[in-house]
Amino acid sequence: MILWEYDGSFEGFLSLVHKSYALKTIPDTITRSQNSGTLLDESIWIETDPFNSEKVAASLQKYFSKEAIERLMHAFLCDDVNPERDILLYIRIGFKSAEYLNDLAHPTIYAIHGYQRRVLSTLHKMNAYLRFEELEDKTLYAKIEPPRNVLPLMGAHFCKRLRGEPFIIHDRLRSLALWFREGEMKIESVEGYTNPESSPNEKKFRHLWKTFFDHVAIESRKNPSLQRSHVPLKYRIYMSEFFISP
Amino acid sequence: MTIEQKLSILTDSAKYDVSCSSSGSVRTLDFGGVGSVGNGGICHAYSADGRCISLLKILLTNYCLYDCAYCVNRISNDIRRAAFTPEEVAELTINFYRRNMIEGLFLSSGIITSEDHTMRLILKTLQLLRHSYGFNGYVHVKLIPGASEELIIQTAALADRVSSNIELPSSASLALLAPDKTREKVLQPLTMAKNYSLEHQKRPIGMSTQLIIGATPENDLDILRLSSSLYDKAMLKRVYYSAYIPINNTKNLPALTTPPPLLREHRLYQADWLIRFYGFGFEEILNEETPYLDERFDPKLSWALRNLHLFPIEINTAEREILLRIPGLGVRGVNKILKARRFRALNVYDLETMKISLKRLRYFVTVRGKLLVDHSLDYQQIQTELLLLPKPSPAAQPTLFDHFYPTVMGEL
Repeated sequence: MILWEYDGSFEGFLSLVHKSYALKTIPDTITRSQNSGTLLDESIWIETDPFNSEKVAASLQKYFSKEAIERLMHAFLCDDVNPERDILLYIRIGFKSAEYLNDLAHPTIYAIHGYQRRVLSTLHKMNAYLRFEELEDKTLYAKIEPPRNVLPLMGAHFCKRLRGEPFIIHDRLRSLALWFREGEMKIESVEGYTNPESSPNEKKFRHLWKTFFDHVAIESRKNPSLQRSHVPLKYRIYMSEFFISP
Repeated sequence: MTIEQKLSILTDSAKYDVSCSSSGSVRTLDFGGVGSVGNGGICHAYSADGRCISLLKILLTNYCLYDCAYCVNRISNDIRRAAFTPEEVAELTINFYRRNMIEGLFLSSGIITSEDHTMRLILKTLQLLRHSYGFNGYVHVKLIPGASEELIIQTAALADRVSSNIELPSSASLALLAPDKTREKVLQPLTMAKNYSLEHQKRPIGMSTQLIIGATPENDLDILRLSSSLYDKAMLKRVYYSAYIPINNTKNLPALTTPPPLLREHRLYQADWLIRFYGFGFEEILNEETPYLDERFDPKLSWALRNLHLFPIEINTAEREILLRIPGLGVRGVNKILKARRFRALNVYDLETMKISLKRLRYFVTVRGKLLVDHSLDYQQIQTELLLLPKPSPAAQPTLFDHFYPTVMGEL
């Protein structure tokens, strides 16, 4: 059983791809954290090497279609499972022939499609169910706890939607924050956390929203299980309509 | 009256309109401020009845001059009345929108003072949103039948979608239950908006209407025939079906205890989908002998059972249009098969790898020339076996959106 570990970054993963070719080895398991191997398995730490990862990135761009690259990058964000080994296999298939990557009946390729679909579905839900609150300085601030690492994909949607208004999206599970201010976007890790002051209007609009939310439902069509299948409980943590009292 | 009280009254009055979609809109105009419209709709929440909340769906006012028997807001009902000012509606919309609670506004209204006066108030709200706030989000407004052409055109020029509800599927029912309306009167503002849009806008404006199901004696064939002609001739983008919920005690309508025909509504949406996305004509789905949709099976399955002579179909060679007609295959499944079979002749395991369910499919296909069921196709046998299949959970009720692939299934 060959176990490889790396630092969890995309660059780190590309270094690992390079290593796989250099050593002519496909590991049985790839994990993101250190010290997760059992006593029987010998785990090898793969160091992130900017030079090698750059080389892999360049050949991906040369030989893979735009969709295939996007697909494997989306799959990489599926961090509730370990998609790395499948992505490695996917890349190896693509370097044999990029055309093979369209073969949906191949288990590895179907798996990558599956990871991508799950990431995009989480992204779609998160874009929909995220709630901003207005801070004192008019910045919009949202807390999220997405089951997959979709924060890097969220910036584009909200830049377009908010048209240059400053906003912050805070992934509290991964301690990451996406900032947008004066036309610039960045993702930073945030360690400490203090709840920022919200604007005086905030309470009023949350209550008005709650009023609308409660009254728009038709009593004779009540269907809580349908509601829960659309908005699973784990997405409701920061949706005020589900927890403030009317 | 506080804004909160108004909001609760005017949400209650608007909620029986089922339209909620914010999808399928591409706008070229830019009003300069916050907001965007995308091709795929977004549901920002789901209410306790499991329906999508995409738009702030409210009435401007529930005061109304009309006395339509099926309507909760008719003049003869003794209910609490309220009216928003255009400013109040605009402020609510912007503030909900910025907090990511809605995609935009769906504004309808009772008829207050006169048709023109009502249309003018709606227009004023739109002007405030678009010009004072620069709002770029989605706006759907009701056109008021009987309002002047000039007001209707000005309104259509600023909205993403306009609609006017026919409500009752035949002229006879309209005359009986909505004496102030005729079908011609209801469709007139849509014709005006369409003509204006074709002449002056790059993309024709989206238009929709709503039909109430189960309040009057029309059968499903009548309803689907009407929707088809609305899609073809009136160029509507959507026809919504709303199971009638008895709210008024009237001798010409079902009693207050009648449950809303939700399953019938669901089957009509499925049939509507077949017409819009699967290349079916309404006369294939229903005819004079069978004027109602079978509630036990979805319309595609019923069609296939009535046309067993067209099956089985070989999944490795059939063309896209034919594959789409096989029960158990949707647009997404068909796309997977088309993609994968370029590389090999697919077998049953390949279908399993691609998570294509054989539950219903197996009665209607061959895979590499082989049948998947033992017996030769027999209507009775298949029907019995299909009826024994476990029922889907109640959670799997109609969804108006395909969440993950709006470009595949949504309003193309």
